Amino acid sequence: MLKIYFGEFEADNYIFNPDVYFNNTYEDEWIVDKISVEMIKDIDGSKVMGPRLIDSPFLGSIPVERLSGGVKTLILMNNDDSHVFNASACGDNCAKWILKIAENKDIMIRLGYLMDFGDASFEVEIVNTRKLVHSQKELVIEVLDNKLI
Amino acid sequence: MVGKYDIEIYNNKVHYFLEVNRNITILKGNSATGKTELIRLVSEYEANGASSGISLKCEKKCSVLTNVAWELRLSALSQTIVFIDETADFIKTKRFAELVRGSDNYFVIVTRDDLSQLPYSVDEIYGLVNVSSTSKYKAYKKVYNEMYRLYNLNPIQNVNPELVITEDSNSGYQCFSHIFDKCISSNGKSNIYESIREHKDKKLLVIVDGAAFGPEIGKIMGYLSLNECKCVIYAPESFEYIILKSELLDVPNEIINQTYNYADSKEFASWEEYYNKYLINLSQQTIYKYSKTQLNKNYLGKKALEKIKHVLPEQIQ
Repeated sequence: MLKIYFGEFEADNYIFNPDVYFNNTYEDEWIVDKISVEMIKDIDGSKVMGPRLIDSPFLGSIPVERLSGGVKTLILMNNDDSHVFNASACGDNCAKWILKIAENKDIMIRLGYLMDFGDASFEVEIVNTRKLVHSQKELVIEVLDNKLI
Repeated sequence: MVGKYDIEIYNNKVHYFLEVNRNITILKGNSATGKTELIRLVSEYEANGASSGISLKCEKKCSVLTNVAWELRLSALSQTIVFIDETADFIKTKRFAELVRGSDNYFVIVTRDDLSQLPYSVDEIYGLVNVSSTSKYKAYKKVYNEMYRLYNLNPIQNVNPELVITEDSNSGYQCFSHIFDKCISSNGKSNIYESIREHKDKKLLVIVDGAAFGPEIGKIMGYLSLNECKCVIYAPESFEYIILKSELLDVPNEIINQTYNYADSKEFASWEEYYNKYLINLSQQTIYKYSKTQLNKNYLGKKALEKIKHVLPEQIQ
């Protein structure tokens, strides 16, 4: 299940800057993992040529470190269970992937804006208030009513 | 710093255009739209100049501020367009807000989070989009990006509000309560959401000071997108802007149309502050002597109100 902490988060295992953290911690096998390949294709429009080479339609052949901050954060969420990542590094186009990653395991992320999780129903725990929400509408109202951001 | 500046930066793969015309510009949007790449180009050009292979065209110097000694570096910058990526954790601090206020630099900040300490305009929030069609610009070719305004706050047609909510609790509220039958004040921009929620069953018109409402607009639009209520947001720069535009006083066109040439960022944190000071000074010796806290009764005369109403969009007059 997906758990979201809204607002400013402080913890020893919190990663504010997932972009830099990814560059210094990623494993080659994370990149060629099936879901990573799909996320990189969907978000960045890029093709994984190998664990150390990405084919970007805009930038050409690039190293893994030049992936977008959003997709790097998604890959971290999928592969590193020991940290809480700042999902404000992800745009709305990452929302469906965050929900997908959370289908198979519990993950907790931090958000500082109202990410659009779409029209379909989902189950998310708002960590600040310990409330379960099941739609974008419930999520927005819970966050704004409680002035979480 | 005053003025409006075009910035064009490119290498042989990507090409960006943007225009900044006041002290704070916010960039947000989907992942992989090129925001970080833009910052990277500015940074590499700053470090290596033309030998970077990057071209940067701008009348003003462009610089990137990172977490490293940011306060010291900022203190050394003047008449510069300062780019800051979302990876800089100081952008939400009170200290940064203090330094932006009174700075003679312009700031272009990449962030999806709202920066509640900074008075930025709803009109200066941009998303980077690719404007090249994939058929024309294929892989490994340049991508041309342009900035677009995220929030189209033009009211929909035929707005007949059952209730008007104003952010302003002073002169603006006093004036609008004479123009609209039912008008209440939210007593500040941070209470707008609660006011909308409280009256969500009514047809609402919400009037906010657009010049400093940027930090709130994402939340309000996020709520309105749920279609819980019929609500139109009208975000003129400020109430004083409406007065200046109403022709009650003799105001040069440039003050309204080219405010960027007059509202010096060193003196005014937002255009709202500029319009307020300008109006107070201009009206000092006239029957329309203006005070923000108590509206001069001459603004509430029939002819004056008509002129003020005339400034409002047709749909809400």
